[in-house]
Amino acid sequence: MNSIIVSAACGILMMFGSVWIGNKNYFRFIAATGLLLTWVANWADMNGNGLFQIPASGMFVYTHISYFFNAILIAATLIYVIISGDEVTKQGAYPAEYFSLIFFVMSGVSILMFYNNMLMLFLGIEIMSIPLYILTGADKRNLKSNEASLKYFLMGAFSTGIMLMGIALIYGGTGSFAIDIKRAGSAVPGFYNGTSFLEITGLLFLFASMCFKVSAAPFHFWTPDVYDGAPSVFTSFMATIVKAAGFYAFFRLVEVRMAQTATSVDWKLIISFIIIATLFFGNITAVFQQSVKRMLSYSSIAQAGFMLFSLFAMNDLARQGLMLYAVAYSLSTIGIFAIMTKMKDYSFDGYNGLAKTHPALAATNTIFLLSLAGIPLTAGFLAKYYMLASVIRTGTYTWLVVAAVVFAAISVYYYFRLIQAMYFKNGEPVVAAISPIFKYLLISIAIIIIAIGAFPQLFFNLFYFG
Amino acid sequence: MTLLTIDWMFLLQKLILIAVIITVSLVIAMYATYAERKIAAIMQDRRGPNRAGPFGILQPLADGLKLFFKEEIIPNSSSKFLFILGPSLAMLTAMMTCAVIPWGNKLEFGETSISLQIADINIGMLYVFAIVSLGVYGIMIGGWSSNNKFSLLAALRGASQVISYELAMGLSLIALLMMTGNLSLRSIVDQQMAVGSLWNIAYQPLGFLIFFICALAECNRAPFDLPEAENELNMGYHQEYSSMKLGFFLFAEYINMFISSAIMATLFFGGYDIPFLDEKTLSPNLAAILGLGAFMTKIFIFIFIFMWIRWTLPRFRYDQLMDLGWKKLIPLALANMLVTGAVILWQMKG
Amino acid sequence: MEPTEILFWIISGIAIFSALMVLLSKNPVYSVLWLIVVFFCITNHYILLNAQFLAIVNMIVYAGAIMVLFLFVIMLMNLNTISEPRRTLWVRLAGVVSGGLLLTVIISTVRSAVDMNDKKALMSTGDIGLIQNLGKVLFTSYAIPFEISSILFLSAMVGAVVIGKKE
Repeated sequence: MNSIIVSAACGILMMFGSVWIGNKNYFRFIAATGLLLTWVANWADMNGNGLFQIPASGMFVYTHISYFFNAILIAATLIYVIISGDEVTKQGAYPAEYFSLIFFVMSGVSILMFYNNMLMLFLGIEIMSIPLYILTGADKRNLKSNEASLKYFLMGAFSTGIMLMGIALIYGGTGSFAIDIKRAGSAVPGFYNGTSFLEITGLLFLFASMCFKVSAAPFHFWTPDVYDGAPSVFTSFMATIVKAAGFYAFFRLVEVRMAQTATSVDWKLIISFIIIATLFFGNITAVFQQSVKRMLSYSSIAQAGFMLFSLFAMNDLARQGLMLYAVAYSLSTIGIFAIMTKMKDYSFDGYNGLAKTHPALAATNTIFLLSLAGIPLTAGFLAKYYMLASVIRTGTYTWLVVAAVVFAAISVYYYFRLIQAMYFKNGEPVVAAISPIFKYLLISIAIIIIAIGAFPQLFFNLFYFG
Repeated sequence: MTLLTIDWMFLLQKLILIAVIITVSLVIAMYATYAERKIAAIMQDRRGPNRAGPFGILQPLADGLKLFFKEEIIPNSSSKFLFILGPSLAMLTAMMTCAVIPWGNKLEFGETSISLQIADINIGMLYVFAIVSLGVYGIMIGGWSSNNKFSLLAALRGASQVISYELAMGLSLIALLMMTGNLSLRSIVDQQMAVGSLWNIAYQPLGFLIFFICALAECNRAPFDLPEAENELNMGYHQEYSSMKLGFFLFAEYINMFISSAIMATLFFGGYDIPFLDEKTLSPNLAAILGLGAFMTKIFIFIFIFMWIRWTLPRFRYDQLMDLGWKKLIPLALANMLVTGAVILWQMKG
Repeated sequence: MEPTEILFWIISGIAIFSALMVLLSKNPVYSVLWLIVVFFCITNHYILLNAQFLAIVNMIVYAGAIMVLFLFVIMLMNLNTISEPRRTLWVRLAGVVSGGLLLTVIISTVRSAVDMNDKKALMSTGDIGLIQNLGKVLFTSYAIPFEISSILFLSAMVGAVVIGKKE
């Protein structure tokens, strides 16, 4: 709750920032300070020293893992703002407003961490989505950006409609918005206490719309166009933090709400189909891309496929795996995009010979790509490992694991294509001026990725005892 | 006498009431055109209509007859159905509002008492808003189906004007509704009638001012009559219309004026309350009839003010209109709301 | 049959018919107008449920505001000519198949339902949709979502200004 309020307040401050503060360059420092404050507020709240104690009347539920996940996402945003903040200021004429929209997204993210009620789920998803529609279209003179924004908006609005329809049906069936409704006894009198057909249809609708939000196949069609059309800085934001938040919300929904209907619906079967489809479309299409940005958008679909494993397995390993995955995937992607925004040519050929001119960029980029591909000693490997291990622990559907490994092997191909371009091809890459701070930031992100990959217990110690 | 479990007497009673109210408002609208011409004439030092009947009193009938006998022209390339739907909707929405207005207190015939209000629903004020917001469709459909650039532009202007001013109108009313705690128009009147309480205008002068300006804009009356600005748009959204369909559009404007005067009188000026008189001392029927008279007097005063404004003030430019609506009236209405809320809270504390 | 029941069937019939017409009309302006008819029917359903406040708000918000803006856009874009791109056979086939699958799922759940037998809507007796009750619920048990929705509107407003302002 504290992080929701603090980030919303920071958003409002940033909104007025464009009036009060003339110098554009201050915005990212203010934003970083605001995120730090949000992080501290979240941390204090987690340890029971929150600034405000607001009775939520069952709308929110505060668990350790929610706080921790929130802390991860806020920290990732902080890193994002520090490393790409100057790119944000270069987009369009309204840098302060962009930062304020990012803060609003963060308050939506915090809502999704703690929601215990489908109303809050809806509000969280919407607060997260609406600023993104704007950020996608931030490059107003670029037709591609406009198209992406409109496409995202129309499809997103449609999926929100389906979500609302689903929530309405669930409410009609059970008389409650809560996701942990107590059946038999405490339900609203006159309503059916078993599983009702309205509830199941509603849950299916809700499921479909959540799949859309996390770009799982067959609801993934918007992803490549939107990620490709949006300004790269904002793609980096939506492909990482927002997506991870969406996944955690989805995880909570499946874990708490859908599981109640497990006797009448085989959710595992549905999810396994979606996993296979997502992995298939993401990986196979990524192979044929010529632009790094577009490849990354398809790869983000493929990564979503891996994150879906946590929804399938629903055990402690899955929970830890999802957290690890969020960290590994977000950090690597933020890094790759930060490097990409400095490049002039986004195609694979544009990276030719980067290792000779900018060895630090090429080396860190390689580490990020290796982490995405899931090569051992990186955080990405461990994340993938946890995901697959969680499925094996359930003891069913082991063929999913086999398929996942095959697809991971395919993904190595397109990630290595970029590494190959950087190291083994000759060319003169056009790179914008790189400040030493930017370089050190990239290196420190790479060090975090390797540290988590090599010593995962550090991370889990933080989680369990932090 | 019940069939299908409907009380047919009740239905009949309401039907007669509806018929009477509609006829009366049509007649008043008709004579409002006459009044408008007379007032314009007085202000411009002319005589005004004086040929048909004594003082030209039959002029509206003659105008109506003329409109009926004119040739019906429907543009070839327009959608015929929509072309007719436009003016019909304008007329329909204008008439629908009078359903919730309390015209007077109860009449009593022996044992049955008849309320001089078609429907006392507990969201009366919102109903009025809903109908007003539908009024846009008449203009838009009419303008679009005329298949004429000027008509379309005028229709869009009119629609955006109505939507913009609806916001300020609603916000200005929220302050009033916070005081009354009730949306039913009859209870709002009853509260003002109670002995010792003042009319709402005493508590909400700013709210009334905003509401009045917005009402002018909602009725597309001067100085907000941009949809029919002749010098820019020829004749506005009803350029292609002729005969009685044109008559409907023009008529709807006068009915709107009548209805909005009635609403202002109800909300801010005590409705059918007779000032300085306790109605309970009179016999119910006499009180009802006197109350109706008082209500009508208030309405006529407002209609006169509408016309007075029209013939004295010049028209706004379009950007000035939008500026006034969005940048002045809405913040003002919000401030009014805030102050009212604070005062109410303070009084509740004290 | 009760009068409300007769009304219900008439209104529902009109609602379904006009919803179909929204899809079948070639001209987008007609589609919008049919959609307004659908909203009217839904408003009437609310009235049958004695949810007067919801009924009127449905009318003000959807028929009165949103559809007007729709009409604006369609009229300004001059979509009255049939300029819709032709869909290929495959796209249409995929649409039919996925729509049909959804229909099958819904029908099968309805068929196997046991909870909705003998359930009737509370015709003209319920009072949950009256403004007083709604207001009380909204400002007590749903106060937090109500307040949080302000962030949603604020972000949408900031976005609208960012998109709409000239650079």
